[in-house]
Amino acid sequence: MTLLLGALSIGLILSLLAAGVFISFRVFSFPDITTDGSVTTGASVAAVLIVHGMSPLPATILGAVGGALAGAATGVLHARFKIHRLLAGILVMTALYSINLRIMGKSNVPLLAADTLATRADALGERVLGATQIGIWGYEVAARDLAVLALVFVIVIVVALLLWAFLRTQLGTAMRATGNNEQMIRALGVDVGNMQIIGLALANGLVGLSGALLAQYQGFADVQMGIGMVVWGLASVIIGEALVGTTQLGLVITGAVMGSVLFRLLVAIALRAGLDPNDLKLVTAVFVFAALILPGALAKMRARKSVKGLELERSGSAR
Amino acid sequence: MTQLQVERVVKTFNEGTPNEVRALRDVSLSVESGSFVVVIGMNGSGKSTLLNAVAGSFFADSGRVSIAGRDVTRWPEHRRAKLVGRVFQNPFSGTAPDLSIAENLALAARRGRPRGLGWALGPVVRHELAERVSSLGMGLQDRLDNPIGSLSGGQRQALTLLMATWRRPELLLLDEHTAALDPKSADQVIRLSTDVIERDRLTTMMVTHSMQQAAALGDRLIMMVQGRILHDFSGAEKQRLRAEDLLDRFEEVRRGERLDETAAELLRRSYV
Repeated sequence: MTLLLGALSIGLILSLLAAGVFISFRVFSFPDITTDGSVTTGASVAAVLIVHGMSPLPATILGAVGGALAGAATGVLHARFKIHRLLAGILVMTALYSINLRIMGKSNVPLLAADTLATRADALGERVLGATQIGIWGYEVAARDLAVLALVFVIVIVVALLLWAFLRTQLGTAMRATGNNEQMIRALGVDVGNMQIIGLALANGLVGLSGALLAQYQGFADVQMGIGMVVWGLASVIIGEALVGTTQLGLVITGAVMGSVLFRLLVAIALRAGLDPNDLKLVTAVFVFAALILPGALAKMRARKSVKGLELERSGSAR
Repeated sequence: MTQLQVERVVKTFNEGTPNEVRALRDVSLSVESGSFVVVIGMNGSGKSTLLNAVAGSFFADSGRVSIAGRDVTRWPEHRRAKLVGRVFQNPFSGTAPDLSIAENLALAARRGRPRGLGWALGPVVRHELAERVSSLGMGLQDRLDNPIGSLSGGQRQALTLLMATWRRPELLLLDEHTAALDPKSADQVIRLSTDVIERDRLTTMMVTHSMQQAAALGDRLIMMVQGRILHDFSGAEKQRLRAEDLLDRFEEVRRGERLDETAAELLRRSYV
């Protein structure tokens, strides 16, 4: 049960990252590798500020701002200097590695004794529930785990609602149209470059927020923690799309969140069943590869089958 | 009053390479307010390039463009969109397929205006949308929330036209906007175009391949050949032109070019 609560909490925290990847990858068709760096930027900014005694909420928000700045940098490289999308992300991600080390001053900042959102949720949980252990469906659960999960849940719901609302504003709609048809939106007077810069800032702001929360949840920020995160986000988005099977905005965002949680649960189960944690990134990459090519391959197979069926029918009727 | 002024515009693509194309060679044109100019020409004559130079898809190598009294020569495309409404040849170019009909139109309703954090689809906007979409007579007002990608080319082109003229443009540019449609849809879109042009007295430039359209529509006709304006008919002369006359003019051009080629060949033989 503790394992389940932990997987749910991490899944929800990373669903903010998935929402960011959804914006860059699905809304803008921009495979944005900045993610791998900006998640760490969010974590390191928040961790360092908290260690220096800043209250955890503003520290978390500043972590998100750090991620947003990184995203804006990628946007500027691509939109203003015409650098290829992938390369712009790679450049910023690489630069962020040094920047993150500079922010933290070392490769790892522990938060174990610090006052974080997680410890505050713990305290609040124990006060509200009045006990350190709670029984749920016959399982004994630590009240603090439950409280952390509840806090993360609330944060994700608020952020998802804000995102949904934003994408339906004039600016957000113009942003979606930019990813959909640049020629059209330019003819309607929108500066495509500006949209990309704002969009990537928003996407990586969510990623940074996710990193800041993750650092507080796991109790440390580490310069390596971002490796493979963009693929993780893609996996979540793809699972989410399979789950909701529609392009309707609200459902797609919900799908990304659910995809992230489900993926984390699958990973937790796989690890428990004996998967070597070292193989996790390989498995994730193979999974995303399969999810990207399977729909096309299935459609092709189906088409071939129906053609064969037709031919059979024809030869049958000829006889 | 002059609504569009093109002065000595030159545009060469791939300059200095074997693929060099001199698309516009010193084109000057002045269009009066409320005038409907039809532009014809063979493939590669520069007619679409002229339209794109006006719309700002690229900057001219030299020359000036001004629209409604404003010098827009150095304005990028999205800035000129404040003054210009456009319909493209490809019916898929003018709309965002994954967005709903209503969202596409709401985007067009703010052409050239700042876009902020207000709802894209407020109740007022929605009401106006339904009204104006039903004026197309296509029954689309009941499908406002469907993605626009689910519509036919003709329907999408009709909506693109509605979007381009939602806020009255200083200049309407139609780039062979019926060339990719079946004859029935093409007729429908042409009818919608002439309706809105007459109703709002829009200054219009329309590129077309169809000699019937060129003869029947507009009050001025420009024929382009090899990046230059060869003929410019207006007034009674334009009204008298029929499709056959235009085909004759093209035949003349073709014969002239062939003559050039033969002459060049002769010269080469005698001197090289």
